[in-house]
Amino acid sequence: MTILSSIPQSSAPARGQSVNARILRLAWRSSEMKVASLLFLALCLLTLLGPFVIDASATKISVADKFLPPVFMEGGRLPYFLGTDQLGRDLLLRSLVGLRNAFLIGVVSVMLMFVLGCAIGIFSGYRGGWTDVVLMRITDIQMSIPVIILAITILGMSRPNPFTIVAVLVLSGWPIYARVARSVTLAERQKEYVRAARIIGASDLRIMVRHIAPSILPPIAFVAVLDVARMMIFEAIFGFIGIGIQPPTPTFGTIISGGTQYLLNAWWITIVPGCLLALSLGSLNLMGGVLERSRNLVLQGAA
Amino acid sequence: MAFALEFFLRRISQGVLIVLAVAFVIFTLLRIAPGDPIRIILGPMATPSAMEETAERLGLRDPIPVQFLRYLGDIARGDFGNSFIRGKQGGTTGGSQDAAGAPPVERAAVIELIARALPYTLLLAACGFLLACLVSIPLGILAGVRNSGWPQKVALYLSSFFVSLPNVWVGIVLIYLLSARTGWLPAIGYQHIGYVVIPAIVVAVELAPVMIRSISVAVATNVQDPFYEIGQVRGLSARIMLFRHVLRNAAVPLLNSFGAQMIGMLLGGLFVVEYIFSFPGIGLLTINAVFQRDFPVIQTVAIFASTVLVFINIAVDFASTTIDRRLKF
Repeated sequence: MTILSSIPQSSAPARGQSVNARILRLAWRSSEMKVASLLFLALCLLTLLGPFVIDASATKISVADKFLPPVFMEGGRLPYFLGTDQLGRDLLLRSLVGLRNAFLIGVVSVMLMFVLGCAIGIFSGYRGGWTDVVLMRITDIQMSIPVIILAITILGMSRPNPFTIVAVLVLSGWPIYARVARSVTLAERQKEYVRAARIIGASDLRIMVRHIAPSILPPIAFVAVLDVARMMIFEAIFGFIGIGIQPPTPTFGTIISGGTQYLLNAWWITIVPGCLLALSLGSLNLMGGVLERSRNLVLQGAA
Repeated sequence: MAFALEFFLRRISQGVLIVLAVAFVIFTLLRIAPGDPIRIILGPMATPSAMEETAERLGLRDPIPVQFLRYLGDIARGDFGNSFIRGKQGGTTGGSQDAAGAPPVERAAVIELIARALPYTLLLAACGFLLACLVSIPLGILAGVRNSGWPQKVALYLSSFFVSLPNVWVGIVLIYLLSARTGWLPAIGYQHIGYVVIPAIVVAVELAPVMIRSISVAVATNVQDPFYEIGQVRGLSARIMLFRHVLRNAAVPLLNSFGAQMIGMLLGGLFVVEYIFSFPGIGLLTINAVFQRDFPVIQTVAIFASTVLVFINIAVDFASTTIDRRLKF
């Protein structure tokens, strides 16, 4: 009896809530989620406040202070917590600026590819017929050009700036969202509420935007967190190859590639900023992973 | 057999269309993007008239559709063109020519450049993929069979950790630790098989998280399926159930994700890794070609890459139907 009576208790509060709130609540219950979001929050604060608190410069060259090791090593000194690079610029501040730019590029590009991809996917799945065939073949074509080839073709040829970088990422990322949104829309189109809306005379656009989109988009959005981390890695790769944001604006890619020449004598120039990047990517991936797992649990009806 | 024939005919004709479209997109992108290859072929001192003459000779001033059709005609005859920049010996000739320019015959044929670079890329890809399999197949199966316990934790944390490492940084860290600091392994360029080890590790680190995840998910869905417990009721050992039945059923979704996702990732990863390590494969060839505006090389690599992707997808779909007879062609 105790088992039976405990079931309604655990599922009763969940029933009143929307699916999305249940996914978020379930995700928040895991300790990984708390650790990851705390870490992420700390990094955000550091990025926002760092430039005001630390008495050093990310771009000013000072030859007297070059190749200073991090403070925890012999020879390091404040305020250069993570040491300085080959031109005497503070590595922590440079990494923080790089982190901010990478994160902005990641978030903006994922948002754009989400909107574009899902809009095309819903349209394609809802309309069906020739529209669907043509749009899906376009995603096939786009998906058979590897991201890196597309990026070095476009960015290597033109002058890379934040807009072109975001454009390339969006161009290579939207087909996946279009595929997912289309497959969910195909199932959703058959449901009663869509038929009901059509019967009372709602236009196709209204059905797509007001009825289908709100019910299918949030589950896709939870997983998009993982893509923000992927886009940040791409941004770092672009910077490393030399097709990312151009100097003097610091990015992880340019910091790492600039430091490789001094690897033997001043390893911290390449290694330390990478640790910071890996830490922030790790927190994003952990959050995305937990969100994805709880989404699957909730949608399968297990929780 | 008739099914298979119809399947291949339909898919290959679709595939040819996709490759043509990719070729056209890349071809157009190259020509509308800023950056004139003539400037790099002839160097900064060339006169405008000489530049115009060379451009005419290379056919770069015709309308893009005309150029594209001519290019397709050449390809149909098996001629992928000659590099704008690279000489027959493999060196770069850009900027060092007189105004007349060396005749294109003396430039290296693109197909030869690719044939020279391809074995290195294949070697690196094979080593990286094997290394990733060594880690992720046992770990993925262990994590999938039990829904709790340490294998699952290890798989989750290891894949979250690996997926958070940018490959450029992993490459540099490994060069520092295994090569520059300790001198255990060589790192830059290629002289013998030892030069593959570090790049292969970097490729494997990139592939492993995706593989661990898809293997454990595929195994887990099958283990939860009623047939697994029924098999055990019939008296089959867990080992036989796993190797005879679960893995076979898990193979279909795995093949699908390996085909589409993995090959794309592998290609992109190889490009970056080859660039980091100056590994003389296709990736390094392409990245250099982009910076030198060497159109024929870029176009051919893009066509090859998308052809490989298309054919691997066809092969994957065919293999899935062979493994699982319930699927239709």
